[in-house]
Amino acid sequence: MEKKYWNPYFGGVVLGTMLFLVFAIASQGFGASGTFSRATAQLLVNSDKSWLDNAYIASYFHHGGSALNNWTVFETLGILLGGFASALLAGRLMVKPDKAPKYPLAKRFLWALVGGMIVEFATRLDRGCTSGQGLDGMVTFSVGTWIFMFSVFGAALIFSPLFRKQWVEDKEEEE
Amino acid sequence: MDFILPLYKNALISPEANLFFAVVMGFAFGFVLERTGFTRSLHIAETFYFKNLAVPKIMGVTVITATTWLIIFSWLGWIDLGALFTPKTYIWPYVVGGILFGLGMVMSGYCPGTAVAGLGSGKSDALVFLLGLFGGAFLYFMLYPMVKDFASSGNLGVLKLQDLFGGNEYTSYILTVILETGIISFLVLLQKLTNKGEK
Repeated sequence: MEKKYWNPYFGGVVLGTMLFLVFAIASQGFGASGTFSRATAQLLVNSDKSWLDNAYIASYFHHGGSALNNWTVFETLGILLGGFASALLAGRLMVKPDKAPKYPLAKRFLWALVGGMIVEFATRLDRGCTSGQGLDGMVTFSVGTWIFMFSVFGAALIFSPLFRKQWVEDKEEEE
Repeated sequence: MDFILPLYKNALISPEANLFFAVVMGFAFGFVLERTGFTRSLHIAETFYFKNLAVPKIMGVTVITATTWLIIFSWLGWIDLGALFTPKTYIWPYVVGGILFGLGMVMSGYCPGTAVAGLGSGKSDALVFLLGLFGGAFLYFMLYPMVKDFASSGNLGVLKLQDLFGGNEYTSYILTVILETGIISFLVLLQKLTNKGEK
């Protein structure tokens, strides 16, 4: 049987303590978006060395060696394994998508793909995602991070009506 | 004064050990993301319809908890807060990038970290989202010559709350706790007002 999810306030205390430990050990916080930018750069350079002419891609290779030889890349591998282990132990490990029950799967996958593209593009401007910029920056009192967070949640609220059917099963109007 | 923490910046652990801890701490992060329901795109998206406020509650309490530990350890003289990586402030890129990120997040229901843990727990939409991330990075590389001036505009360097409002790190700490508590309380109030009669 599936276990219940943790109480959010309890989860926050656990996550916050881990975020403190990560800063205390590694001098930096959690992140993820950089891993995918680095992996893309590495794939491109493996296929054709001339991609190194791109200044952004080249910045990942300044230290010599692989673009993937990076703290966040190793940490991202851990996130994948941790998500797997927790789902397995909680009886939640199963291959399925998340959406409102009647929403078409093809449209769900299209929005996931396009949304992923927009998110990773945005993280290059934002120097990180809701972890690497959001959590880490709020904990270190960064002013820019608060600008980022209000933009993210403000925009998500403003655009949310466009995607309501994907997430919320509204009751049919009674005749 | 000699600080002990952070270990890596003070060269008390080797780069190899630091990468080992990266996997261990990543594992713990992914584990807790799954335990708290962050691997569910539905849970993340429901935030914006005031159906489920777990995401802002967890984020707010996470920040309050982490920053409380840091301020206590700093007060005891055990950690050098100045050695912690702090993102620089780029005003306009963060405003535009934040708006794009918010659009992509409500569209997909994921952000990069939660989708990685989501893939681990078997979510097929998380896999599709992660494929999209490669596409987004590729798009940015291609457009980089055009966007690079904008990407570095409004650069204020490392700017902390105490630089803006005066005082010291304790001022920033108190401001952060007030902001996070205020945001959670405000959202809970809004949820009560918008979902009358619903769960």
